Amino acid sequence: MLIKSWKRESFGSKVFDVVNVTFMIILMVIFVYPVLNVIAISFSDYQSIAKGTVTIFPQGFTVSSYTYVLKDKMVYYGYGNTIAYAAVYTLLNLLLTSLIAYPLTKKDFVGSKFVTVFLTITMFFNGGLIPTYLLMRDLKLLDTFWVMVIPGTVSAYNCFIFRTFFNNIPHELSESAYLDGASDYRILAQIILPLSKPLLATFALFAIVWVWNSWFNALLYLNDQYKYPLQLILRNYLFVIDNNQLQQQAGVATSVNPLMQRKIDPKGVRMAMVVVTMFPIMMAYPYFQKYFMKGVMIGAIKG
Amino acid sequence: MSNLTAKNYSRLTRKAVPGNKKPLWKRILQQRALILMVIPGLLVVLVFNYFPMYGVLIAFKDYSTRAGIWGSPWVGFKYFENFFKNPTTPSLFRNTFLLGLYSLIWSFPAPIILALLFNELRGKRFKKLTQTVSYFPHFISTIIVCGMLKEFSSRGGLFNQINALLGNEPVSYLLEPKYFRTLFIASGIWQSVGFGSIIYLAALSGVDQSLLDAADIDGANRFHKIIYINWPAIAPTTIVLLIFAISNIMGNDFTKVLLLYSPKTYSVADVIGTYTFREGIQGQRFEYTTAIGLLMSVIGFVLIVIANWVSKHVSETSLW
Repeated sequence: MLIKSWKRESFGSKVFDVVNVTFMIILMVIFVYPVLNVIAISFSDYQSIAKGTVTIFPQGFTVSSYTYVLKDKMVYYGYGNTIAYAAVYTLLNLLLTSLIAYPLTKKDFVGSKFVTVFLTITMFFNGGLIPTYLLMRDLKLLDTFWVMVIPGTVSAYNCFIFRTFFNNIPHELSESAYLDGASDYRILAQIILPLSKPLLATFALFAIVWVWNSWFNALLYLNDQYKYPLQLILRNYLFVIDNNQLQQQAGVATSVNPLMQRKIDPKGVRMAMVVVTMFPIMMAYPYFQKYFMKGVMIGAIKG
Repeated sequence: MSNLTAKNYSRLTRKAVPGNKKPLWKRILQQRALILMVIPGLLVVLVFNYFPMYGVLIAFKDYSTRAGIWGSPWVGFKYFENFFKNPTTPSLFRNTFLLGLYSLIWSFPAPIILALLFNELRGKRFKKLTQTVSYFPHFISTIIVCGMLKEFSSRGGLFNQINALLGNEPVSYLLEPKYFRTLFIASGIWQSVGFGSIIYLAALSGVDQSLLDAADIDGANRFHKIIYINWPAIAPTTIVLLIFAISNIMGNDFTKVLLLYSPKTYSVADVIGTYTFREGIQGQRFEYTTAIGLLMSVIGFVLIVIANWVSKHVSETSLW
C-alpha cells in the first residue's frame, strides 16, 4: 500500500522523503549513541577505557566497575531514600490534589472562587530561591525527610487538570450515590477516584520521574549524606570526587590503592554509577512512555 | 432516601438556584465536608508558596533572624544599589542574556521543525519508533546529561574520538570558554527536543484531512502544504510558547550551569542564578540575593507583558 502510493508521488516529494528518513535515522543515532557509549564504557576493562577506543560495544568485557559501585553502601542509601521520597511525595501529591479538585467540581461550593484565585496566583508569582530557603530553615525543615516530600506537592496546574477530568465523569453517578446517603468522602474514594485511574497513573508517573531525577532541592536542604537521594550520590561520583579520592574510597573498603591493583578505571566506575541510577527508568520507559504522551496532551488541550 | 429534601435541591442539580440562596453560614455548615477536604492542600500552598512571597520583603530590610522578617529595620533600595555597583554585575547580565538569547534562537525552533518532519513521515511504525526514541532523553536527569558531557569531552571521550577521526588535536571542551554555550545549548536540545515536539504534534493532529486533500487537487506540493496548512495550525501554540520563552530569557536553568561550569569558564558561564546561589546560600548574604531574585522576577514580568503586547498587535494571539 505504502509503496504503491509512494510511486505516484512527484520526484521532488520522493527526494524529500528520502532526505527526511535519512535525517531521522541520523537523529536516532544521535539520541541513542551516547547512552550506548556510556553502557559500553561501564562494562569495559581499564585498558580499553584508557585507550579511548570504546564505542557502543564493551571492550574486554568486565563487571569490575559494577562490583566497585555496588560495594559502596551510599549507593544503597541513595536508592532507599529516593524510593521513599518518591513514594511519599507521589501519594501526598495525588491525595492533596484530588481533595482540592473534587470540591471544585461542585457548582455551588462556597469556596470555589477563593480556591481558584488562591491557586492561580501561585502560577504567576513565587518568592524565589532565597526566601524559600529561609522559610525551610525557620520551619526547622532543613535536613529532614519532610523537606523532600511536602514542598511542591500541590500545584495549581495539576489541581485544574484534575478538576477538568473529574468534571467529565458523569454527574449522575455521584448524585445517585448521594441520594443513597453516601458522604462526599465516600463518593470521592469509591466512585470518582476508581474512575480516574488513567489520570492517577499518568500523574503518579510524572511525580515519580520528577522525584527520581531532581537533585537541586536536596543539595539546598540536606546536609546529612545518609539522607541524600540517589542523584546526589551520583553527583558525588561525577563531579565532586576526583580520581584519587575514588581510589582512596575503595582503599577504605579493601586494601591500599585498589583501583590500580584491581585495574579499574575511574571513568568506568562513573559510567557504571550512571547506569545504576538510570536503570529503573530505562527498564520502565517502554511501558510508561505512552502515559507521558497522554499527560502532555491533557495539558496541551487544557492550555 | 431521607436526604432527598428541599434543602438539598440545589446540590443535586449542581446549580445555585437564584433567589433560593441560603445564608452563607448555613451553606458553610452544610458543606463542611467539602471545605475540610481543601484545607490540607491549601495549607501546603499557603506555607510553601505564599510565605516565601512575604519573605521577599527582606530585600528591603537588614534581616536578622531574631527580629524576624517584619521586625527587621527597613533599608530601602540599599541592596539593589549594591548589586548595580558590583563590578561583576555587567558581565553577569551579559552572560545571562546571551545564554538565554542563544538558547531561544536554537532551542525554541528545534521541536517545531522536528514535529513538522515527524508529521511528514509515511511509515506508521517508523514514525512511532523515531518518536519513542526521541522522547527518551527527556527522562535522563540533568546530572547524568552533564556527567556524560564531562566524560565525552575528556581525553579519549566520545567528542575527542570524533575529533581524532577528523584528524584534530584533542580538546578539553568543558574547560574552554568558547565551547561552553554550544555544549550547554546543544545538550539541552538533545534532552528536550523530542518531548517538546509532542505539544506541536498534538496541534498538528487537529489539521483537517479534507484541507490537505483539497490542496492536493489544487496542485499544492508538500512544501506548500507545510507552509500554508500545517504551519498555521501550530502557529497559535508556537506564539503562546514563544511568549513564555521570551519572558524566561533571563531565567535560564542555572542548576545545569552549576554542574557544568568551573572557574576556567566563569567568564562566559557565570550567570545571575549561579551568582545568587554562591552569594546567597554559600555566602549567607540573604537580603542582597533576595533583592537580585526580586529584580529578576520583575524583569521576567515586564518581558512577558511586552511580549504579550507585541503578539496581540502583530498576530492577534495573546495570553490575556
